[in-house]
Amino acid sequence: MEKRLIKKDLLPGLIGGLAAEAAVYGPAQEGDYVIFRALRPGEEPLVEFANTRNAPKQFLFPPREELMRYTRLDGDLTLADRQEQVQETVLFGVRPCDARSFVLMDMVFDQEKYGDPYYIERRQKTTIITLACVHPPSAACFCAAVEGSPTSPEGADIMLTDLGEVYLAEFLTAKGERWLPRFGDLPAADAAALARQKDIALQNSWEGRTLKPTREIKPILDRIFDHPFWDTIHSKCLQCGTCTYLCPTCHCFDISDETKGNDGVRIRNWDSCMYPLFTLATSGHNPRPTQKERWRQRVMHKFKFFVDNFGNLACVGCGRCVKHCPVNIDIRKVISDIAAL
Amino acid sequence: MSNPYLPIPVVVDEIITEVDTKDIKTFRLSFLNREDEANFRYLPGQFAELSLFGKGESPIGIASSPTQPGHLEFTVQKAGIVTSALHELEVGAKMGVRGPLGNSWPLTYLEGKQVVIVGGGFAFTTLRSLINYMLYEENRQRFGRIIVVYGARTPGLLLYKKELAAWAERDDIDLYVTVDRGDADWQGRVGFVPAVCKDIAPAVENTVAVICGPPIMVRLTKPVFFDLGYTTENIFTSLEMRMKCGIGKCGRCNVGSKYICKDGPVFSFAEIDQLSYEF
Repeated sequence: MEKRLIKKDLLPGLIGGLAAEAAVYGPAQEGDYVIFRALRPGEEPLVEFANTRNAPKQFLFPPREELMRYTRLDGDLTLADRQEQVQETVLFGVRPCDARSFVLMDMVFDQEKYGDPYYIERRQKTTIITLACVHPPSAACFCAAVEGSPTSPEGADIMLTDLGEVYLAEFLTAKGERWLPRFGDLPAADAAALARQKDIALQNSWEGRTLKPTREIKPILDRIFDHPFWDTIHSKCLQCGTCTYLCPTCHCFDISDETKGNDGVRIRNWDSCMYPLFTLATSGHNPRPTQKERWRQRVMHKFKFFVDNFGNLACVGCGRCVKHCPVNIDIRKVISDIAAL
Repeated sequence: MSNPYLPIPVVVDEIITEVDTKDIKTFRLSFLNREDEANFRYLPGQFAELSLFGKGESPIGIASSPTQPGHLEFTVQKAGIVTSALHELEVGAKMGVRGPLGNSWPLTYLEGKQVVIVGGGFAFTTLRSLINYMLYEENRQRFGRIIVVYGARTPGLLLYKKELAAWAERDDIDLYVTVDRGDADWQGRVGFVPAVCKDIAPAVENTVAVICGPPIMVRLTKPVFFDLGYTTENIFTSLEMRMKCGIGKCGRCNVGSKYICKDGPVFSFAEIDQLSYEF
């Protein structure tokens, strides 16, 4: 594995170099918030930030995505590919929690029996450059409680660690290494740099923190489907869907057709299990009629069903739902309350 | 890479109104491309998404049997946006089919056994597929005695009337058709499906039951079979839930750790007990 050092003042130029061959997205200040978005030509991404308000999942799994086009004319039906041409893409400055979310999304969208060609194409054409978290966690972060870590390389093609004056750049995958020539002549990382990286990882490790591992609630979730506990957590919930919108691992979607005249497009767009209509059948029957069932579904899906199916928790501890829930429902409290049952 | 969201083009060859209320029709479809027909290999119990561009898609059980090549049949009740548009179609209309999706009736498990099939109302569609599959000459000896109980609210609401008459003539299937309420012309049995099951009392030895119907019918029929000694492991049913992608990705039909579209729709009651599924 190639490990190189990048002097901090070289970074903007390097990113400009990437932009010559790919669409580059990165963190940028927008008013009060840091947003993950397309970088304008010459724009430098932020490197000092906790995390972006939006999860970068939208670049692999867009909020609205065309699936195919159709034309109905004189009783005839013709189908055509969607218009979008997926470009080579670089996501720069992804935090380890969000990079990990891509690995989890792969488990859903890239399966042996059914592969999602839209997600897979974007995934193949996207290079993830992760920026390790070297500062103390923000108030809502809890990646280590859900089997992540602030310096985890999981999901990264290239990982950058801020060592002070330079970045340590680790080219972790074949896809990451393909970009190496674009980075120019970078000095190899020396023992001092690697030792510094280890120190940072240790400093930021979460040993001794108070949050217990979330996996521990799985056996409790296995038995509490009908427990009155579920009556206690949902009443504040406004069903606004913010948590599912900002969550890096939420991936529920709707498929619908939009027609104008003879031509139309079949699209998919983000949907939320927290909305009342999500499971409403045409008959009028709704297996999840109240927010109680829907909240139970959210918790069970992320911390039990996904584990049953894929062996992993479907939460990366990014804390966005905690930060942005308008009524301050804190999933960490829900988890610790369950742990006490 | 193949695209599981892309519907296969088909044409409507025939439309049969099944019931006197006219809101259930069987659509006989054929593939526009020979290749698609050869690749569409399905088993009884599976479903497909019927795709009407401009309206949407509807997951419907396949009512034909793979032993009847050359076409697919779907029996559809007019209920919402997509099915209403489907009911407006005329012969010759082009539409899409995505499938086959889901799992099938547990054919291997049924082999060598007596099979009791209990159907109610318009849930009978994939049961009809199963029956035709088993009755097919080359398949018949794989299965033991076949007992079928099929009930509808009124005689006019019975599906596949011609087929029921044909099956009644055969000696390799014991068919019991019943209605909740007869009419002036009805000569047959009158009685609720659970009661008819109780009368027939099919023995449990080496037998598997398949029950498919409205929730109330299933709920009242289950105890009849439990009293006969059946267990949750040898009674199967087919579940329904709102679906969109049909391939276990969009999350809509997720129940417990299963997706009705991908891990079902066929489940044994033992499997359903683990899902905490609520009818």
